[in-house]
Amino acid sequence: MVSEDVLRTHLQELRRGTVVVASLVALRRPDYGYALLQRLTDHGFPVDANTLYPLLRRLEDQGLLSSEWNTEESRPRKFYRTSDEGESMLGRLLDDLAAVQTSVTGLIQGVDR
Amino acid sequence: MNTLTDRYLAATLRSVPTQRRDEIANELRASIDDMIEARTDGGQDATTAEREVLTELGNPDVLAARYADRRLQLIGPAYYLVWLRLLKLLLSFIPALVGTIVAIVEAAEGKGFGAIGPGIFTAIQVAVQIAFWLTVTFAIIERTQATVDLPGWTVDQLPAAPVRPGIPLADTIASVIMLVLTIGYLPFQHYQSWVHGTDGDNIPILDPGLWRFWLPALIVVLVASLIFEVVKYRIGRWTWALFGTKALLDLAFAVPLAWLALSDRLLNPALGERLSWLADADNRNILGLSIAVGTAAIVVLDLVDTALKTRRQTA
Repeated sequence: MVSEDVLRTHLQELRRGTVVVASLVALRRPDYGYALLQRLTDHGFPVDANTLYPLLRRLEDQGLLSSEWNTEESRPRKFYRTSDEGESMLGRLLDDLAAVQTSVTGLIQGVDR
Repeated sequence: MNTLTDRYLAATLRSVPTQRRDEIANELRASIDDMIEARTDGGQDATTAEREVLTELGNPDVLAARYADRRLQLIGPAYYLVWLRLLKLLLSFIPALVGTIVAIVEAAEGKGFGAIGPGIFTAIQVAVQIAFWLTVTFAIIERTQATVDLPGWTVDQLPAAPVRPGIPLADTIASVIMLVLTIGYLPFQHYQSWVHGTDGDNIPILDPGLWRFWLPALIVVLVASLIFEVVKYRIGRWTWALFGTKALLDLAFAVPLAWLALSDRLLNPALGERLSWLADADNRNILGLSIAVGTAAIVVLDLVDTALKTRRQTA
């Protein structure tokens, strides 16, 4: 029986990079921090608030996201959107994700059980 | 107004770079308000919602570090191994060396056995200083953005696999026998020296007055050397730490011995009664000098030999 701790660590490792991919995909439609958090959670990407908020800033610093303050609603919110640069990088990441999936599938089929 | 949220924001922003502080503050406050609102909409009361949201966001220092992309470690994996290797290398001989020098200087000023205390004290101080400054240096390197180009690892750095034990059992047994014989000889010569006084009593070779302090002290050093031999054999090869310990033990035995010989306090003055050659002060000085020089030569040769072995076995 695998211990819960070990399982959690491996799942965390597996999921780590996918948050970036998921955020870049989701932010093709501009959104603010908390709304994005909920959208990601609803789509099966549970992410901690204290991970996501700093991550958004970092992706913005790297030029993968652009941002804009929206002051029309009840409180001013910072909206993020995937930039052109972010879009081209997302393409590369998605290709790699697909390649990983293909490789895993190939490996599973090639190994007798 | 000093709500929990205000306090949380203040705590987080304290360690975020100034130029981004206001923007992060506004965004984080909006996010916190959004999160609280989502909970109060679900029927929770505002105070509980605020507490839960801030608890979920966690320790403000961790959050601030994530915003600033700061590493939560003193010395990270990039430099840890280099730091560790340097620390071991420096600690293996510098404290022992400085401590020994201090002890010798103190002893030369006539402090005698009291010189060992300051020597050990200085060695500990030096060790603490080395560890502190080395760590500070690496912590600074870790925190500066500039990456230091460390030489990469190559297969040529692999140490030779030990084909035979670095410390042969025969050597250890020989050393142990020598030490046991020396320890045994010190009390033995007191009762049986084959030199007899006019009344037929046995005349000890070494000054019996030395039993008040110096001979027991030397026996303690010899017993420590005995333990050292066993520990060394168990470790199986020379390391710089072992070399440092051996140097200390050798000096702890040789320095008092040479000093006693030079100050004409080693040999029993009563020997002069029977051996007329020893009655002459000049002859006694020559003998004392020979003993001191001989002891020094043996220690130096032994330590050079050990240093060579250590270098070969740690290379």
